[in-house]
Amino acid sequence: MPDQAFDGVFEEAGAAAGTAPGAGAVPAVRVEGLWKRFGQQIAVNGIDLVLPAGKFIGLVGPNGAGKTTTLSMITGLLRPDQGRITVAGHDVWSDPESVARVKARIGILPEGLRLFERLSGRELLAYSGRLRGLPGDEVDKRAAQLLDVLDLTGSQNKLVVDYSTGMRKKIGLAAALLHNPEVLFLDEPFEGVDPVSAQTIRGVLERYTQSGATVVFSSHVMELVESLCDWVAVMAAGRIRAQGPLAEVRGDRPSLQAAFLELVGANGRETAGESLDWLGGGAQR
Amino acid sequence: MSTTTATSPVAGTAPVPSLTSTFVRLKLSLLKNGLRQSGGRTAAYIASIVFGVLFAAITVLGFAVMRGSVSAATVSVLVIGTLALSWTVMPLFVPSGDETLDPSRLVMLPLQPRPLVRALLVASLVGVGPVLTLVFVFGAALSVARGTAGVIVAVLAVPLVTAVCVALSRAVAAANVRLLTSRKGRDLALLSGLVIAVGMQVVNFGAQRLGQTGGMGPLEPAAAVVGWLPPAAAIGAVDAASNGDHVVAAARLLLTAAALVALLYWWQRSLVRLMVEPDGSTIGASSGSGAAEKSGGTGLLGRILPGGRTGAVMERSLRYIWRDPKTKAAWVTSLAMGLIVPLFNAFQGTGTIYWACFASGMLGVQMYNQFGQDTSAFWMVAQTLSTTADAYAELRARALALLTITLPFTALVTVATAAVLGDWSALPEALGLSLGLLGALVGSGAVASAVFPYSIPQDSGYKNVAPGQGGLAWMSILGGMVGSALLCAPLIGATVYLHLSDRQSALWLLLPAGALYGALLVRAGLKLAAPRTARRLPEILAAVSKG
Repeated sequence: MPDQAFDGVFEEAGAAAGTAPGAGAVPAVRVEGLWKRFGQQIAVNGIDLVLPAGKFIGLVGPNGAGKTTTLSMITGLLRPDQGRITVAGHDVWSDPESVARVKARIGILPEGLRLFERLSGRELLAYSGRLRGLPGDEVDKRAAQLLDVLDLTGSQNKLVVDYSTGMRKKIGLAAALLHNPEVLFLDEPFEGVDPVSAQTIRGVLERYTQSGATVVFSSHVMELVESLCDWVAVMAAGRIRAQGPLAEVRGDRPSLQAAFLELVGANGRETAGESLDWLGGGAQR
Repeated sequence: MSTTTATSPVAGTAPVPSLTSTFVRLKLSLLKNGLRQSGGRTAAYIASIVFGVLFAAITVLGFAVMRGSVSAATVSVLVIGTLALSWTVMPLFVPSGDETLDPSRLVMLPLQPRPLVRALLVASLVGVGPVLTLVFVFGAALSVARGTAGVIVAVLAVPLVTAVCVALSRAVAAANVRLLTSRKGRDLALLSGLVIAVGMQVVNFGAQRLGQTGGMGPLEPAAAVVGWLPPAAAIGAVDAASNGDHVVAAARLLLTAAALVALLYWWQRSLVRLMVEPDGSTIGASSGSGAAEKSGGTGLLGRILPGGRTGAVMERSLRYIWRDPKTKAAWVTSLAMGLIVPLFNAFQGTGTIYWACFASGMLGVQMYNQFGQDTSAFWMVAQTLSTTADAYAELRARALALLTITLPFTALVTVATAAVLGDWSALPEALGLSLGLLGALVGSGAVASAVFPYSIPQDSGYKNVAPGQGGLAWMSILGGMVGSALLCAPLIGATVYLHLSDRQSALWLLLPAGALYGALLVRAGLKLAAPRTARRLPEILAAVSKG
């Protein structure tokens, strides 16, 4: 049953995207010369990025690499200092008409921003669906299905402020999917999430991309990115270090982790434990 | 690696310090580090010490002056009773910054309950609060102690009362840790300002009553009871000893000492229990009970309100008034003040019906900083706004939600004030002025929300502005108030003119005129605010996400 309910939510994701995977049409996201500076610190240092439509895309990088800043600028939450961004062919920062088209086509799950936590999970979905201009009945139908698929039906009447981290991520994901976006942006969707919830989120995302939609998510867990994504972009210190299909970025290295450490220049710090000679089992104190 | 240091490095270097001194030092360093974090905090701390010392000095002086008067015993017993009461309720409303007292931080350490409670009690006695309490109690004892017996009992009573106050506070806090670490408890703390405000009104009212009767007579029965309740019983003991009533004095002193022992035992039991049971912060989330609400995402409200953005936004705004502690506190304060001030003045016989405008003034201010009230959740709104028309609909819905409550309330307060004053003829003009002012505030509030957004920190019941945005907040609200008054000038001018030119029969015209003018101001404000909101979404989000 959940599967059927699920299909109902995404019945037209592929059709709406209008781009069959690999058709070489409009990329999901195109970024040209993007800059953002906070005071003295340059958070995003003139990056160019092309993310193809219909892929599961990982944006990876160490903490402070500029991933969140980049995603915020792509999704219209943070104004860039310089550069041009198009999502599904529409400019994010030009005229209101174009911005409106972008906002209608994307769903986002930001990191570090609140939700309207004094609403119950169900009320939150009802509210955000109606803000998006969907008819009330349709919102309630989709909300019920999403709550079911994400295993939140039992907590739907509890206030979001009382949710656990995993439940918050799931309700945020439901709110981001409610209007059936073409491109979904997720900032650290698995951070602090228990394995069961992570598996649920993963299942939903895999189905969603199979229907032809695009997922862009940021993470610093390489194993996860390697197992989920077919396209990766590696960021460090405000710059893109590599981007392309997973196999290409990984090259002949044993894992994405190894490739990543090499790309961000963090190799050679494996053993730092020589001064800890008292540490070990056996001794009493 | 030598064998001696491997087996007992600690014993080999220095003697193990006692638990009590460790806790006292921990408390002092936490205090020092807390102050080092920000200059503002240091300044506030020093200011509170200065204020406290001044207050204590004045109190001791007051007690000294009262020494020997007939009401000295009554007053000192009641003051100490009130002091103990405030120590009791304080942990429930003021989330303690004292990390040495948080049992969840101690749970991993191998500590015995009895030395732990002793150490914690001594550590709790370090601080401005306990020292001020000690001075207070000293003053109270000073006012009643006479003769050798009185002084001897006082010397015992003063430290005893201080210890009981502190132990009382800690024992109550430990027993309520489950409540205090849960979300409901934190919500309760945010409402503390409200409780304090209402409490002050009650005290004020009581003081006025006393002023009218002219003496402490009405308080004597209360003092007789409180004089047997620890810790005020110890002050009662000083009084009894001074009067030569040694048996009563001994009984009261022993009662207080017994209370201290009982409190310490209760505290120790709570601590032991807390260390082996999970804390409350996770319990709410794991139990299946939620808000028992029926019928999908929209309840009764959803069926009454219009569809689309207007209905959704109104519904959320109205729900937040009840569910969000900060919003609730602001609303309850505004509603209470808006009702009390005009009616109180009317009852005193000194008021005019124009005081009723106070209600619309208090409530209209709620329109200010609309997006700041959303906190960083404003991104959910920003994601769905792109055109001026969207922004207009959003702001209009928020104004409508506000007006659903304020319009009937303003009418109610104005009618009630007119009824108390018996001044029915002035009702139309007062109502017209109120509506005009409300419209001016809602309209200017919409503009201020778009142009001067600022964050409202959610963690503290007292901070309503994030650091660095205070000027912005004050400017926006004060400017808005002055601007609204100016906007109302035509209405006020018309009222004054009609009165002076003796055209009383035309004064009723101010009601429709005020309503219409107010509506026009709201519309103009929304029209001005909408494009500014739509253009500045990322800037508004950044401004409301601080802190």
